[in-house]
Amino acid sequence: MLLFCVGSYHAQTNVFLIGRTLGEKIIANGDTLRVFGFAPNLGSHPPIPGPLIEANQGDSVHIDFWNVSQLHHHTIHLHGLDVNQQNDGVPMLSFDVDHMEHGWYHFKAPHAGTYLYHCHVGSTIHLQAGMYGPIIIRPSDGSNTTWDGGFAFDTETMLFMSEFDTFWHTDSILDHPHDTTAVHDSLEVPRYNPDNFLINGLSDHQLEDSIELNSKTDFVNYFRLVNIGYCSNKVIFPASLGAQIIDSDGRPLPSVEMSDTVEIYPGERYGVLVESSVAILDSIEVYYYDMMTGTVKDTQYVKVDIKVPNNVEEFKMLRDLVLAPNPVTNELKVMFNAIEARAVGYRIISLDGKLMESVQPQRVNQGKNLFTINTSGYAAGTYLISIMDEGQVLSEQFIKSSE
Amino acid sequence: MNLLKVPFLMVCLLSIQTILFAGNTNQTIYINSGVHACFDGAQMPFKAFNASTSFSNRNVQLSAAIGDTIFLEVINTDSIQHGFDVKGLAGIRDTVAANDTINVAISSASLGIFIYYDHINNEDEAYLGLSGIFAVGVNSNTFFWNLKDHELAVNDSVMTGGSVDWMTYYPDYFTINGASNPNVNLDTTARVEGAIGDTILIYMANTGRAEHSIHFHGYHLEILFSTDHSNYVGRLKDTFPMKKMTGYVLRLVPDQTGEYPVHDHNLLSVTGGGLYPFGMFLTILIQ
Repeated sequence: MLLFCVGSYHAQTNVFLIGRTLGEKIIANGDTLRVFGFAPNLGSHPPIPGPLIEANQGDSVHIDFWNVSQLHHHTIHLHGLDVNQQNDGVPMLSFDVDHMEHGWYHFKAPHAGTYLYHCHVGSTIHLQAGMYGPIIIRPSDGSNTTWDGGFAFDTETMLFMSEFDTFWHTDSILDHPHDTTAVHDSLEVPRYNPDNFLINGLSDHQLEDSIELNSKTDFVNYFRLVNIGYCSNKVIFPASLGAQIIDSDGRPLPSVEMSDTVEIYPGERYGVLVESSVAILDSIEVYYYDMMTGTVKDTQYVKVDIKVPNNVEEFKMLRDLVLAPNPVTNELKVMFNAIEARAVGYRIISLDGKLMESVQPQRVNQGKNLFTINTSGYAAGTYLISIMDEGQVLSEQFIKSSE
Repeated sequence: MNLLKVPFLMVCLLSIQTILFAGNTNQTIYINSGVHACFDGAQMPFKAFNASTSFSNRNVQLSAAIGDTIFLEVINTDSIQHGFDVKGLAGIRDTVAANDTINVAISSASLGIFIYYDHINNEDEAYLGLSGIFAVGVNSNTFFWNLKDHELAVNDSVMTGGSVDWMTYYPDYFTINGASNPNVNLDTTARVEGAIGDTILIYMANTGRAEHSIHFHGYHLEILFSTDHSNYVGRLKDTFPMKKMTGYVLRLVPDQTGEYPVHDHNLLSVTGGGLYPFGMFLTILIQ
């Protein structure tokens, strides 16, 4: 489930981001925290994480960064994109952007993959404050594949992990001075004791119904995992999802690795494919580890709900399946719409699994179609009819009455 | 005690011709105790394997070509017994009494990074500083990063034989080869300098107690060797997870010029004494 999409054009992507330091964020206990962040406009608080930057491989990306931050300096570091020094966003090696100034960053989108951006001024404080966001570089054609010639997928979910220490979000910590004459902008960093453990900026009950894998059987689901916190994460997928780790840090792995568990450290990204042939209602577990002691600080959960598709609205080519009459006695009319001409067959099974009838695919026309089925020989009871084309199935139950 | 490890002696005898032509070396290292002065003037008790009896907070960098053997004399100048082991190499573990000497032979038949360290006392002495890098397969463009973290109070406690509750460990100093930003850039064995197209090897080990996550700006690097994850070999990454007492051999072939930072992306470790950015942070310079 992706975040905020910034305008994308074929060979050039233009991005506009505003650096803010008076943002507000409601955390799980209902309190409002002051946050820094990147906002798409002046009228809204900066989202945590920041707006998604999205481009296709090979695109020229131009970022106009406007700093409206009450005297704070900021930059944009394009993490993992291997941009040149001038665009790297490290203040003493390129430039920083003062209050009410604009900074421009340019790069050519490299390998398709998952990246991120964040401020590199007073990084330890500014990242914790919220100045980070995701970048997705898609394949050259913008398709739902992991990279040019990579894996096709049906759904895409980003899990962007971080934490908040609420004490760090007080004015005394956030409003640190900037010494613009120093090579290193030195600042005091308090002891870190995170108390909110975030996925896409949310935690605990905020995650419920907000972030989940809501998919269908036999769909290929692509997870983009990102860690920008100061804890390491262990992400554990339900075993039945058959998780495959396919990429990291914007590059394919040398070989696909089958593992339900992905360890992801600060700054790393991983790509994971999951798929199930059966319905699943379960959770992905996300552990947050203290990197100093190795102890678990917290666990968050992401709901996984994979259903067997049975809703006509969910299909592209076959729709509006109607059975009449239902209940039926001797003759069942099966009506459906085909979005385009194609071969469609059907089969009928009883609820105890007995195959009553199976008809090989036959060509149907675009638009409304009708199959008429003689049910006079069926025993009274409930049956399931499935009409099928290439790779799609529509199913409905009907009742054979005794009269 | 003067003990030459039998398995390595046997290997040496069986391969005498190879040894003669392969550049085996003799080397002496000293277990020294001293004081590490942090960048901000703070001082902590420290121990290290040094090249002489003069204390330095930098452990000796041991390097060998693939297949070469280092015949190592370990002299303990400290007042207590210490241990010596090499993670990933079998048959090395030994102890050396105060003011005594042991002899070991270390080698590897393939490229790799191995951590030599004091294994006794739950590796507390290794934490105190007695842990270094044995690099095998180095080339002329090789750099070494020995990552450590320290909490002043814990160093004091370990030095005096006190107990340590590692569950409350909160390090306040983070170093590479004993130095932190910006001084680490003065270390020519750490500060990568090269040119476009060079094949640069970085031997990187975490010999501290905390975990780290080392992020490179400007480049992706290939993992040639991992102490704990053979399946990581061949991965191209910009960020490398570093569990304690693990290491990598990384290959960098720069494709652009510039000066780019490398730092721990657990940004708590880019601090020193509570001050940003005086921790695990250095730069790479490609001309």
